[in-house]
Amino acid sequence: MNIWHSIRRHAEDNFILASLILLILFFGFSSDNFFSVITLTTILNQLPALTVVTVGMTLVLIVAGIDLSVGSVMGFCAAVVGVAAVAWGLPLWMAFLMGLGTGLICGAVNGLLVAYLSLPSFIVTLGMLEMARGLAYMTTGSQTTYIGSQIQSLALPLPGIGVSAALIFAIVLVIAAQLVLTKTVLGRYLVAIGTNEQAARMSGIDPRPYRLMVLAVSGALAGIAGIFNAAYLGSADPNAGIGLELSAIAAAVIGGTSLMGGRGSIIGAFAGVLIIAVLQNGLAQIGVSEPTKRLITGAVIIIAVLIDRWRAKHASAS
Amino acid sequence: MTESARLSISNLDKAFAAPVLIGVNLTIARGEVHAIVGENGAGKSTLVNILAGNLQKDDGEISLDGNIYEPQGPRDSYAAGIACAAQELSSIETLSVAENISLRALPKKKFVIDIIDEGALNAKALKLMQRVGLQNIDPTSSTEALSLADRQLLEIAKAISFDCQLLILDEPTAALTTPQADHLHSIVADLAAAGTSIIYISHRLDDVLAVADNVSVLRDGELVVTTSTKQTSVPDLVGEMTGRNQTTATERRDRVSDAGVVLDVTDLTTGDLPHAINLTLKSGEIVGLAGLAGAGRSELLSALFGLVPLTGGTVRRMNNGAEHAVLNAGQAVRNGIAYLGEDRQSMGLFPGQSLLTNMMVPGSVDTKTLQYIDKKRERADGARFVEKLSIRCNNLAQDIRQLSGGNQQKALIARWLHRDSDILLLDEPTRGVDVGTKNAIYDLLIRLRQKGKTIVMASSEIDELTTVCDRILVLSDRKLVRSFERSDFSEQDILAAAFSEFTASVDNQSTSTSRVASPQR
Repeated sequence: MNIWHSIRRHAEDNFILASLILLILFFGFSSDNFFSVITLTTILNQLPALTVVTVGMTLVLIVAGIDLSVGSVMGFCAAVVGVAAVAWGLPLWMAFLMGLGTGLICGAVNGLLVAYLSLPSFIVTLGMLEMARGLAYMTTGSQTTYIGSQIQSLALPLPGIGVSAALIFAIVLVIAAQLVLTKTVLGRYLVAIGTNEQAARMSGIDPRPYRLMVLAVSGALAGIAGIFNAAYLGSADPNAGIGLELSAIAAAVIGGTSLMGGRGSIIGAFAGVLIIAVLQNGLAQIGVSEPTKRLITGAVIIIAVLIDRWRAKHASAS
Repeated sequence: MTESARLSISNLDKAFAAPVLIGVNLTIARGEVHAIVGENGAGKSTLVNILAGNLQKDDGEISLDGNIYEPQGPRDSYAAGIACAAQELSSIETLSVAENISLRALPKKKFVIDIIDEGALNAKALKLMQRVGLQNIDPTSSTEALSLADRQLLEIAKAISFDCQLLILDEPTAALTTPQADHLHSIVADLAAAGTSIIYISHRLDDVLAVADNVSVLRDGELVVTTSTKQTSVPDLVGEMTGRNQTTATERRDRVSDAGVVLDVTDLTTGDLPHAINLTLKSGEIVGLAGLAGAGRSELLSALFGLVPLTGGTVRRMNNGAEHAVLNAGQAVRNGIAYLGEDRQSMGLFPGQSLLTNMMVPGSVDTKTLQYIDKKRERADGARFVEKLSIRCNNLAQDIRQLSGGNQQKALIARWLHRDSDILLLDEPTRGVDVGTKNAIYDLLIRLRQKGKTIVMASSEIDELTTVCDRILVLSDRKLVRSFERSDFSEQDILAAAFSEFTASVDNQSTSTSRVASPQR
C-alpha cells in the first residue's frame, strides 16, 4: 500500500521516464529480439546526432523561438566535413573544425537576423533551411562523398565501454546544458525572456544577445550533429538530416518543452529523443509497417502534449 | 404630455474588485449635450462601457426613450441607436479608411453572390469625411498612414456613420488641434439641434463649458452633482472632482537635510517628451508625478530608466562620488535604478513561473551570467521578503498568477529590493490593488524612504500622491509645469496645474493654432 503510493508518486513526477520504461518493457515482451545487443546498438547509434540537435532546439524553444534550419545545417556541415577531408585532403580534426564553424556561422546568421533585425525566427530559419540544403548540394555536387573508415571510429563503440565517443559527448552535453538551464543565472534569463520578453527588458535584461546566443549554439550543435552523421555513415550525404528539425521539435515537446517559450527541460527532451528512438525501432521489430509507424509516432506526440497539459492543470489546481 | 427622456439611468451599480459605480442617476433629454467629468478612475469609462454594451451593469435600471435598455453586447447598443467614439482608437490598420467607417454595415450588391459595393462604400465615406474635416484623405487609402488626430476624426466619422439617437464621445479632442476641435464642436451642435443626444466626456473643462448644456461630475464612482454649464465654472468643477476626504497620512520622520543628489536630469527630451525636463532626485525622498492620462508620466519614468532613446539632455546617476550616464536599462539596473511598469501583467510578471523566480529574476547585485545560483540562499531571501512585505501565498513555488494583484505587485517590488536598488521608479504602483494592500504599499514606500531610498511614483490618484510624497511634480501635456513641496500640497492646485496646459491654449486660441502637438507615430 505504502510502496504502491510511493511508486505512483514517483511515476507522476517522472512521467516521461515512466512512459519510456513502459515502452521498453512493452517491446521487450512483444518482440523476441528487442532485448538484443544489435537492437540496442542500433538505437544508441542513431541517438547522438538527434540528441545534440534537440539540445539546441530546446534552448531556442525556451526563449520562444524556433530553429527550422537544423536538419539542413547538419547536412551542409556533413558535406563540408566530407569535402574538406576528401577533396582538400585536410586532416580529420581540421575537417571537423570546419564543420563546426560552418554550423556556428549559419546559426549566428540566424541569430543576428532574429535578435538585431527583429525578424521572426520561424521565417529566418525557414529561409536558412532552404539555403543550407542548397549549399549542401553545391558543396558535394549532389553526390554522397565517401570519407573512409577512419571517421567511423567516432561512431563505433569504444572498446571496454560499449558506447561510442559521439554518444558520450551527447550525454555529457545533455547534462551540462541541463545544469546551465536550471542552475545558472544564464538559464534563468533564458526562461525569463521566453516567458515575458518585455518584463525581462524592464528588469534590465537585454534579450538580444541571448537570442543571438541560443540560435548560434543551435547552429553549432547542428554542425556537431553533421560530424556525427558523417562518422555514422562513413560518408558525407547531402541529403542527411532532412526532416530532422521536426524530430527535434517533437522530442522537445514530448519532454515537456512549451512552444510558447519559458518552459522546457533538456533532460526531458533527451527522454523525448529516447522515446522516439525506442518507438521507431520497437515498432519495426514487431513488424509494424512504415505507414503505421508514422501514424503511431504522430499520435504519440499529440498524446504526450495532451497529457502534459492535463498534468499542468492538475498540478496548479491542487 | 412630457415626452420621456432619451436616456435615463437610475441607481446604476457596477463593481469589479471594488465598487466602480455607486448608485448613479442620470437623465439626458433629446437633443441635449451632457458632459461627464471626473478624475482618472472616477468611473467615466466604466459608465461608457456599460452604455456601449461592453460591460454589464450589476444593478440599477437604464432606459432609452422609455424602453428598458439592457445590452448584452456592442451589437445591442448599435441596434438601440447608440454610437460610441471610444477613447482608445479602434480603427483596423490594414483596412481602408472607408472600410473602417462602414465596417458594421458594409454596403453590398449582388454579383453571383453578395459582394461589397465599393462605389457606395467610398461615396458614403467621402460624405462623412467631409463632415468631420477629413476631406483631404483618400477614402481608399490604408488607415495605417493616418496621423493620431486624423484617426480620432475617423473614429467620430465612424460613430456618426448611422443615424444614432445617442452619441457618446469619450475624450474626442485629446489628439486634435484647436481648429479641428472647434470644427468637431460645431458638428456636435448640429447633431444636437437635429435631436441627437450627446454624452461628452473630456478633461478639457473649457471645452465642456462651451459645448455642453449640462455637466455631471463623477467622483469615486458616485455622481456628486449635475448642473447647467451656465451655472458653474472651471474652479467649481475642479473642486467637485477632488472634494474627497483626505486619507490619514502615514507617520513619517523628517527627512535628512543633507541628503545627497542621486540622479540628475538635465534638459531631457525624448520622442514623446518634446519639452526639456530638468530635475534632481535626492536620497530619502518620495517624488510624485501627477498629471492627466497622456500627460507624459509613464514616458518620463521609462526615459529615466533608459528604456527609450533620449533625443537630448542627460540622465546622470551619482553614486558615492562616482557619476554614470544612464543610457539603457541594463546600465540603469547595474547602477541601482529599478523600474515597475504601469501594466503589471505585460511589463513585470513572468506568468507560469514561481513566486520565487519572479522575485529573483534580475539576480542580486553581484550576479554574473554564467554563475551558479545559490538556491538555498535564494529561498532564504525569498522567505525573508515574503515575511517582510507580508506577501500572501501558499509557498515560494506557487505560480505567480495565483497571487492577488496586490501581492503580485509586492513580489515585483521585492524583485528590486533584493537587487538592493537605491532608486525605485514606480508607475501606478497601486493600480488594481485593494484598499488594504494599498495602505501596506504606502507604508512600505515610506519605510524605504526612511532607509534612504529614493522613490519616484507616477499616479493618477492625487490623494495617493499627497499621502506619501515629499514633493509632487506635475506634468501637463508632456511638459513639466509645476513642483509642489509637501507644505503646499493642495489637491485643487495640483489638479489645476495638471489641466493648465490644456486650458491655457484656449485663452491663446488666436496666437496658437495647435494646442497639442499630436505624436505622429
